[in-house]
Amino acid sequence: MSVAAQIGDVSFAHPGADLPSLDRVSLTVSQGESVALLGASGAGKTTLLTLLDGRLRDWRGRVSVLGMPLDPDNAPPRARRADTGFVFQEFALVERSTVLRNVLNGRLGRMPSLRAFVGSPSSLDLEAARIALVDCGIADLAERRVDSLSGGQRQRVAIARCLAQEPRLILADEPVSSLDPARAAEILALLTEAARARGATVLFSSHQPDLARRFSDRIVGMKGGRIVFDGGVADLGDAATSDLYRETVTVPGIDLRAVN
Amino acid sequence: MRSRGLGSFAVGVLVAGAVVWSIVTTDVELSRLLSAGPRIADFLGRMLPPDPTVVDEIIKGGAETLRIAILGSLGAVFLSVPLGILASETMVSPAIYRPIRMLLAFIRAIPLILVAMLMVGAVGLGPLPGIIAVAFHATGMLAKFYAEAIDGVSRAPISALESAGAGPLARLRHAIWPQMAPVVARDTIFRFELNLRESLVLGIVGAGGIGFYIQTYVRSFQYDKAASVTLAVIVMVIAIEALNVALRRRFR
Ligand SMILES: Nc1ncnc2c1ncn2[C@@H]1O[C@H](COP(=O)(O)OP(=O)(O)OP(=O)(O)O)[C@@H](O)[C@H]1O
Ligand SMILES: [Mg+2]
Repeated sequence: MSVAAQIGDVSFAHPGADLPSLDRVSLTVSQGESVALLGASGAGKTTLLTLLDGRLRDWRGRVSVLGMPLDPDNAPPRARRADTGFVFQEFALVERSTVLRNVLNGRLGRMPSLRAFVGSPSSLDLEAARIALVDCGIADLAERRVDSLSGGQRQRVAIARCLAQEPRLILADEPVSSLDPARAAEILALLTEAARARGATVLFSSHQPDLARRFSDRIVGMKGGRIVFDGGVADLGDAATSDLYRETVTVPGIDLRAVN
Repeated sequence: MRSRGLGSFAVGVLVAGAVVWSIVTTDVELSRLLSAGPRIADFLGRMLPPDPTVVDEIIKGGAETLRIAILGSLGAVFLSVPLGILASETMVSPAIYRPIRMLLAFIRAIPLILVAMLMVGAVGLGPLPGIIAVAFHATGMLAKFYAEAIDGVSRAPISALESAGAGPLARLRHAIWPQMAPVVARDTIFRFELNLRESLVLGIVGAGGIGFYIQTYVRSFQYDKAASVTLAVIVMVIAIEALNVALRRRFR
């Protein structure tokens, strides 16, 4: 089985922070896997996903994504960034643009620079956007402005943008934490199903162990910047789950919410 | 608390000192001050009734002022787009935006009328020095506004496009521009209104526009004609404001 992402002994501290956000982390994710990342607030989930997305600088260790090593000092080239898709917790859409425009934004990394600047999509780009819209069930919203949509609809747009990118690795940072339980399950089903159909690897973080179990093959648990659990869905019992959230919950007077 | 009381005492002394200094050193005798009221009343009396025969001059001067404001604003927009980008934290590093911001602050510190006088000296009388002066002066504010508009946008969509593989200019075009467009439209209209207002007086220093006639008529004691032109200026300012209010409503 080929490897989608490999992290070897990576450490990282945010500028000005005393404690590392990633503390000698090692992790290998195989192509086609669906991995859920669990852990209390501040455990380092966002940091880990940002690292794999090539947007973190000044870390130590070794990282390779889709067979290519990442450089701690420089952003990956445009074409390689397009191979990794990212779904943001707060959607990160351009509110005043239409749904279609937002989904086409996912194609920018696939376009030559001038075409990307002008924003004139090729028929290939339009086709990728159309398929993504249909798969996310929002083809009828294409011409609506994003600021007129509900949270669930917005996350569908964000996922459609990610799918239009045709990524081989999909990173999703708490993609459903701002949605109601029914919507959350719907969106996670949509995301993991679309990824499976495309043979893409998924790594998503979540605060909902039940959803994580339902929509992944493997659970990775983080705590204080370290990986403290790594196993199949069946291996994560209730005790292990509560253990993940224990220490950080009982530290009094310290706000561990991450600044995203 | 204590130092605060001391501070306001110091401010009080400073203000009192400034007022006393002004009164003592200004060379105005009490008699002239007392007679100023009646003189002004007399002057205003000679302005009435305004002479309506200067309609042609008003139209000609007003049109030229409008042209100066339009072309000056256009020039300011052209200058402010690159300078605004270079003055924004989002687009460039501190080594670039710091000196650019200082340059813009410097430009803002020079009053328009002064720039216009210098330009009249440089390129001669007429609307051209006015246009150059307006473009230069307005850039100090407009480029700053544009930079603030760029920096005021939400960062998340920019990160999303970066993640998708968009380069800096594509991010500017597709993540930053759609967010800042209404702000830019509002700021530009606002600056155009200021340009139009401020260029009404440019003619006084010979830089073209309707102000030229006010200056000419006052100098030649034709106060009734000066009154007509002044009234026209007031009407124009009110019209500009009404237009601006209407336009602003459209860009939300
Ligand atoms: N921009 C930042 N500057 C400084 N410290 C940061 C920054 N972002 C995150 N951190 C710190 O890094 C650590 C890991 O944060 P991270 O966002 O990765 O956690 P997380 O597991 O995603 O948490 P959450 O579930 O709240 O999103 C935390 O201690 C957090 O305070
Ligand atoms: Mg997070």
